[in-house]
Amino acid sequence: MSYFGLDRIFKLMKTIKDYGGLRASLYKLYRIDNLRPGRLVATDKFGNKYYENNAYFYGRNRWVEYAPKYGLDYDASQVPAEWYGWLHYKTDYLPSEDPGRPKYKWMAEYTENLTGTKLQYMPYTTTNPKIQAWVPPSKK
Amino acid sequence: MLRSAFLPAKEALANQNLLRCVGLGNFQVPTREQSTQPAVAEEKYKPYSPFQNTSSKAEYALARLDDLLNWGRKGSLWPLTFGLACCAVEMMHIAAPRYDMDRFGVVFRASPRQADCIIVAGTLTNKMAPALRKVYDQMPEPRWVISMGSCANGGGYYHYSYSVVRGCDRIVPVDIYVPGCPPTAEALLYGVLQLQKKIKRYNTLQMWYRK
Repeated sequence: MSYFGLDRIFKLMKTIKDYGGLRASLYKLYRIDNLRPGRLVATDKFGNKYYENNAYFYGRNRWVEYAPKYGLDYDASQVPAEWYGWLHYKTDYLPSEDPGRPKYKWMAEYTENLTGTKLQYMPYTTTNPKIQAWVPPSKK
Repeated sequence: MLRSAFLPAKEALANQNLLRCVGLGNFQVPTREQSTQPAVAEEKYKPYSPFQNTSSKAEYALARLDDLLNWGRKGSLWPLTFGLACCAVEMMHIAAPRYDMDRFGVVFRASPRQADCIIVAGTLTNKMAPALRKVYDQMPEPRWVISMGSCANGGGYYHYSYSVVRGCDRIVPVDIYVPGCPPTAEALLYGVLQLQKKIKRYNTLQMWYRK
């Protein structure tokens, strides 16, 4: 069976079934470009889902599926700082079970990269310009 | 385990696990960390297009045409390599199989006439500045610039050097600044994705109509 690669077909059918049908699988393909069966590890407060499947090799066995509210505009900065370590193999602890994780009242809420939105950071200068732009002479 | 047998009674009552062992008390699920709590209400699905407020049929049609145009542009972004220093090595990495920029439709193009975007990677010296400007001027519209690394962003380590331009934005208009010295290939790839996001917001045809 596995010699002819027929088990792959059954694996695919099982994956589609696990996702909840053909429609849901096509949605996953549209959104994240592949079908990956995995164990749901946890969901963070933004709704991102973290998966693990150790059948994949190290480096691909942990991944995140971004919350549906982001649509196709997901990017890596939507993973909060507390999940960064787990996702990048800095630690095997989940954020909820890590004993040595500081947690203070004054710690700010995590924000994604706001570049390109209305909330983006715009620097401004408070000093006089030190250089003058060259104004080319007009040719009349 | 033996240590827990000698716990004072007050602490033993506070200890949930011990109670569970003994079989007393109501089994309260320990409160979970906020980080793992899912969002209470499902928020609305974000639509693909950034142009949602169209007032007339013509505007709607142009908004959809803009979407199509932007989709085509961001899906085949061909950067011109302008590797000047060590950043160029990281720029090579994103072309290599591990980061594989080709999956985003980003392919290096060696000639400026066929490129959409230029990645200024490395220290821009005074000597190189006219060359950069010339190459930039040869690129067809629309064109974008990614400034990669501290040296291209603002001079970086060589900011006070006599022979270095303090940021390539003094020569060409820059769209995306990628910080780092040098930035990792991941950071550059993130910059490329940010540029794709920026291209998605372009309203070329709608502005033409409004004029």
